[in-house]
Amino acid sequence: MTGSPNVLEVRDLVVHFPGRHGVVVKAVDGVSFDIAHGEILALVGESGCGKSTIALSVMRLLVPNSGTIISGGEDLTNLRGRALRRARRRMQMIFQDPFGSLDARQTVYESVVEPLKIHGVGDSANERRTMVLEALDFAHLRPPQRLAGVYPHELSGGQRQRVAIASAIVLGPELIVADEPVSMLDVSARAGILRLMVDLRDRLGVSYLFITHDLAVAWVVADRIAVVYLGRIVEFGTSEDLVAAPAHPYTKALLSVSGGDDQVGNIDPVTGQVMDVLPGETPSAANVPTGCHFHPRCPRYAELGQPEICRAADPVLLIMNKRGSTTRIHEVACHFPEEPQ
Amino acid sequence: MSLLEITDLSIDYLTERGTLRAVDCVSLSVERGESVGIAGESGCGKTTLGLAVPLLLAPNATVATGSITLDGTSLVGLSEKAMDPMRWTKVAFVFQGAMNALNPVHRIDHQILEAITTHEPGIDVGAARARVLHLLDAVGIAPARASSYPHEFSGGMRQRAMIAMSLACRPRLLIADEPTTALDVISQAQILSLLNNLRHAEGLSLILISHDLAAIKRVCDRVVVMYAGIIVESGSTASIFGTSGAAPSAAHPYTQALISAHPNLHGTRVLAEGLSGHPPDLSQTMIGCRFADRCPMVMEVCHKVAPTLVTIAPGHVAACHLVSGEAS
Repeated sequence: MTGSPNVLEVRDLVVHFPGRHGVVVKAVDGVSFDIAHGEILALVGESGCGKSTIALSVMRLLVPNSGTIISGGEDLTNLRGRALRRARRRMQMIFQDPFGSLDARQTVYESVVEPLKIHGVGDSANERRTMVLEALDFAHLRPPQRLAGVYPHELSGGQRQRVAIASAIVLGPELIVADEPVSMLDVSARAGILRLMVDLRDRLGVSYLFITHDLAVAWVVADRIAVVYLGRIVEFGTSEDLVAAPAHPYTKALLSVSGGDDQVGNIDPVTGQVMDVLPGETPSAANVPTGCHFHPRCPRYAELGQPEICRAADPVLLIMNKRGSTTRIHEVACHFPEEPQ
Repeated sequence: MSLLEITDLSIDYLTERGTLRAVDCVSLSVERGESVGIAGESGCGKTTLGLAVPLLLAPNATVATGSITLDGTSLVGLSEKAMDPMRWTKVAFVFQGAMNALNPVHRIDHQILEAITTHEPGIDVGAARARVLHLLDAVGIAPARASSYPHEFSGGMRQRAMIAMSLACRPRLLIADEPTTALDVISQAQILSLLNNLRHAEGLSLILISHDLAAIKRVCDRVVVMYAGIIVESGSTASIFGTSGAAPSAAHPYTQALISAHPNLHGTRVLAEGLSGHPPDLSQTMIGCRFADRCPMVMEVCHKVAPTLVTIAPGHVAACHLVSGEAS
């Protein structure tokens, strides 16, 4: 341990995949962020924006093309074999699908004890049993003695996700990477899982990289939010700042569809029809627009008469703090951001 | 006369564990041009209710009681041969995950054309082709993309193509089961605006089945909340959610829990309590209120007497002892 305040430091992460016909898919194109001890950082964006690729890179389930991933003072970027496995004890992942991520033929106990066996944790079966029951209790799978013996098919979606969480915390990780952990659950079960995640942060001090497409959920769960568009972070700030004073037109669009407003999109004055929230499809990472990646769909670009700089120059993340605020950093990558209030 | 009239409908599934009543004595009507949302958790019976209308229930399901009348025709007990011409032309169904039901080896426009020519055998091919382009245009797919293969479309576009296909034979009623669940927020908003536009432009009636009350709030005139096979609350969207600015006036604790489950960006930054526990086992005989075991406001009477739907405002009914005043 170096005593660094961060459990994770990601610098200039680039992940490119070879596409068809020699095209390069720029899934992640220069992303940097830190996660402090006990912090919940949310990555928010649409499908295909690269947020899951970032998660897989952090877990080193794939090798980035360039950039560094530092955890606990150790550079994970090029670790292999035993050293990588040891580093992974500090980081665990929870996936979206609680129906696919558990082995149907393993009891809850067998699923949760497996990481302990893989990492050789616990001196005896008894000690491991104590650790598993404790993890189940932490995950509110109660009574743990009874639930340890059941199979996944006997559990609801929410309970299965609790088993996945128990398997993640049994090793005492510093960081949990949670990729859309509630989006496949019933609305009534979601709040319970989100509360559990926050509760574990408060009780165990675990940090989270929380991947979601739902800005409203990120707002209530995370300390800070990074909005991701086509492989780049376009806006970064505390959850309060980002929602109260969004600076990037894309963040504003996401807010307008996540707000629970009665009316989405704008009414066309001629036809009376509701217009699309954002015109067009999410451009593909295999065919990234020039300049600002967002300009073809950007309402501000259209409003300002298509300024050339948006097509020509790639905006970088710049600090744009509220007047009088010096401690909380709010960054935006836009040539014409909303003015801070 | 309503376009769709469902009266006292009960549907049983025959399972290994015995008979399971998925829909229990449900009555519901949909007017022409009206959109009705059916909300509830997985297993509450909302999909079974939706599938019953075009008679698409699983083989082990039977209609135990009640009637379904669509545009003057009584549907329960109708033969396949009699029902078939009404599917697509009178009622169309968009399944959950429908976007994955497109045939991967045929072009989108070809698939929609096939739907038209199959159901309207005598139709002029030129006219059918024109209708395909019109339908795709209505769902926001440009003619240049019409002859793409499904894999060339994003999830949102595939879902829009499926909605275009469901409208191929100009149905009067569209039943959409979780049409936006697998999509991300921007695509969800686009599909919901699309359904809204189609409803107004084509005079379509819509049943939107969803666990997402925010989606229902955006599109529907009326909301029906189901729990464990029965309707626990129903009313106009304005009266269930409250008009903008005012507090929601949902009366049933279950509806209230569903509404507060999703964080509101205009509200306070707190996580909802959520509901613990599960809906009851439908194969068991139920005494008292079906929601009693999970209800934060449960009273003694709730475990003994089943509440019935009572009117609490014009067109707004709820089945809860708190509103029917049986507690006193």
